[in-house]
Amino acid sequence: LSKCDVVLAGVGGQGVLLAAQILGSAALKEGFNVRVSELHGMAQRGGAMVCHVRIGENVHAPTFAEGMADVIVGLEPLEALRNIRFASSQTLVLLSTEAIVPSIVSVGSFSYPSWEDIVKRIRSFTEHIVSVDATDLARKAGNVITQNTVMLGALAATHRLPMRLETIKSATRELAPPKYMDINVRALELGYDALESLISERSE
Amino acid sequence: LTDPKVLLEGAVGKRFLLLGNEAIARGALEAGVGVVTTYPGTPSSEIADSISAIAQEAGLYMEYSTNEIVALETAAGAALCGVRALSPMKHVGLNVAADAFMTLAYVGVRGGFTIVTADDPNCYSSQNEQDNRLFAFFANVPCFEPSSPQEAKEMVPYSMEVSEKLGLPCLLRTTTRVSHTRGPVVFGPLKRPKLKGEFVKDVKRFVMVPAHARVQHKVLLEKMKTAKRISEESPFNKTFRGGSKVGIISSSVAYNYAVEATRLLNVDAGVLKLGMTFPIPEKKIADFIKAHDLIVVVEELEPYLEMQVKGIAKDRAPDTEIHGKTTTEHFPRFGELSTRLVVEGLAEILGKAVPVDFKGIDRKYAEVSELIPPRPPILCPGCPHRASFYVIRTVAKNRAVYTSDIGCYALGIQPPLKVGDVLICMGASVGTACGISKVIGKDVVAVVGDSTFFHASIPALISAVYNNHGFTLVILDNSTTAMTGFQPHPGTGKTGMRTPAKRLLVEDIARACGVEYVRVVDPLNIKEAMKILREAMKRGGTSVLVFRQPCALLALREKRRKGEKIIPCKITEECTNCQVCVKAFGCPALYIEDDRVFVNEVLCTGCMVCAIICPYDAIEAGA
Repeated sequence: LSKCDVVLAGVGGQGVLLAAQILGSAALKEGFNVRVSELHGMAQRGGAMVCHVRIGENVHAPTFAEGMADVIVGLEPLEALRNIRFASSQTLVLLSTEAIVPSIVSVGSFSYPSWEDIVKRIRSFTEHIVSVDATDLARKAGNVITQNTVMLGALAATHRLPMRLETIKSATRELAPPKYMDINVRALELGYDALESLISERSE
Repeated sequence: LTDPKVLLEGAVGKRFLLLGNEAIARGALEAGVGVVTTYPGTPSSEIADSISAIAQEAGLYMEYSTNEIVALETAAGAALCGVRALSPMKHVGLNVAADAFMTLAYVGVRGGFTIVTADDPNCYSSQNEQDNRLFAFFANVPCFEPSSPQEAKEMVPYSMEVSEKLGLPCLLRTTTRVSHTRGPVVFGPLKRPKLKGEFVKDVKRFVMVPAHARVQHKVLLEKMKTAKRISEESPFNKTFRGGSKVGIISSSVAYNYAVEATRLLNVDAGVLKLGMTFPIPEKKIADFIKAHDLIVVVEELEPYLEMQVKGIAKDRAPDTEIHGKTTTEHFPRFGELSTRLVVEGLAEILGKAVPVDFKGIDRKYAEVSELIPPRPPILCPGCPHRASFYVIRTVAKNRAVYTSDIGCYALGIQPPLKVGDVLICMGASVGTACGISKVIGKDVVAVVGDSTFFHASIPALISAVYNNHGFTLVILDNSTTAMTGFQPHPGTGKTGMRTPAKRLLVEDIARACGVEYVRVVDPLNIKEAMKILREAMKRGGTSVLVFRQPCALLALREKRRKGEKIIPCKITEECTNCQVCVKAFGCPALYIEDDRVFVNEVLCTGCMVCAIICPYDAIEAGA
């Protein structure tokens, strides 16, 4: 592997930071050099949230340039679209299907784009789009807040990461709140399995 | 965040994935720091917070001081007695501490003292993006700029050593992208903190009356000569050899962008990476300039290095081209840099093609972004500030001028509440209210949080009373420093050592400042709060209302801990779809779909304020 650049995008409160820390920590466990960029403070509080996770020997900068992502993980569809400028035609976009409508849409004059519209616009950058019903899988895992780890599991199944699922699991065990550890590990597995069966269906 | 115990117990020689700020906390433990003082502020907060969590076990002293100048003075006091001290603060915190900082350079220290200034290019969480390297230049204080978490850690013990060698405080300047980037950090051995010091009297050195200060200024300038020699030899000022045509001089996170940009452009450049950026290593820089045909200075914000590099070149290599952001504007002087901006700047300077079609991406993205509604940070569901703003907005209406302050409640400027017409810096809500109320002859309502009230509002309140300024100050007391991560303050009754303390009440302080009309109200009791605000505003003179209700995030945490059930509200059949709850109150737990109001049961905290303001009594507690 020369490098793997991942965008994790979502809404403050969805666990984007935890997902990024788990990824980074798993990469370090396997001996890779890694950088994870985070945003705290005013940048959270229900606002748009984005982390860059960078794995690879020659990685120096905390963020990467437009058009350079290997994978964009959208914990929320609109937030994936907001970060689509990091995609090239080779980038894989992993999309959680459930929308979180910004409150500004309810109050002001904005509207939330339709799912079809979001996918169409993403497609203008890349054809590689996979959607995951992360909310449903998280519920099956035992708590709807585990969408972030569901998406990490799905990401692990894309084989674009240099780390094994087992390593991501062990990083999750270390970093998830103890109370939710088992649920998060289950969520990882459900996300992984869901994507793997989707991939094998497609290849058949 | 990383479990702070890791910082204390992690094995020496092992690599850990740490935030830059956590790495600085570890650096403090490896430096044997005895005293840590701070006032929290993004992007610096995790440094002191990590230390607070382990201070007892680590055997050092940590405190959240009331503001940055008090933090700096407290740490300086310890350092004067030979104890190593660390004061992390955000960049604008150093403005608050500047009075002490500037003259402490004359006085100097005995124990190592490092002040961390966490700058915020692009204003991710700040009111400005000032470049605090200029503070080092201004004060004649050595400055260190890490480019990664590993360097951030190493520079703590290193700066302490330099501090002790020179008898001067040092500035460790990070930026958001250093403080809030995670990277591998190798742990070195811990050093036992030294907590006991001794004050050895030296009036001529420590008492800055004019006669002594004149002398100490000269002493400081002498110390700078030694500092220059340290900078020439510092391992943090490193030359990476490359082709002799292009030489890049860079520091901090900009160095990382520069390295990646040269790779993307396939340029074989020499790089001079500066980690000690005040005083700069003049000879090393002169040699580097002479070894290259063309020099590019890559740095964020002010052309701080560029101006000095040009000064050196003028004397020693006048024919070398030097590019940056002054005479040739290849890089912006605002916001943060990125690999892309450095690629574009370098490509322009070197006449090379940009390897990625960024302009094409921009065009395509412009079409997409029209479709994307903004998602600004908002007040949380159940946040008592929302109720407070609803009360203020309803009573004082649009005709009043609202002066606001630094904290979560700055988010009150968002529609529909729109409380906040002026916001400058910590404490300015009260000061600006004095001047505005003096000259407009209309209602002025100042809004400040509890932590910010303690921080910088008290002198302004005393001035308001003494000079008879007519406005109402509403102190939004949520009993924590919420925006930066729930740090204690004097109104919470807890210390940085996690021990109980005497709780100071903001209403007692307001009364002691001479305010005659002081009332404490629960803002969730909307009607009562409105009545009292009306009364206060009618009264004239300076009045203070304390709107007290704990931060919703903390209250929820507490409820969950106790196993109390959180009952979300529900919309009943009485709903006439007037949508006041959404359009005038703006709680994010309420949303409109197909032109009807719904409750998001995951987000709703059951505060029931919407039920009070609903004109049709159509909201009630759910089952």
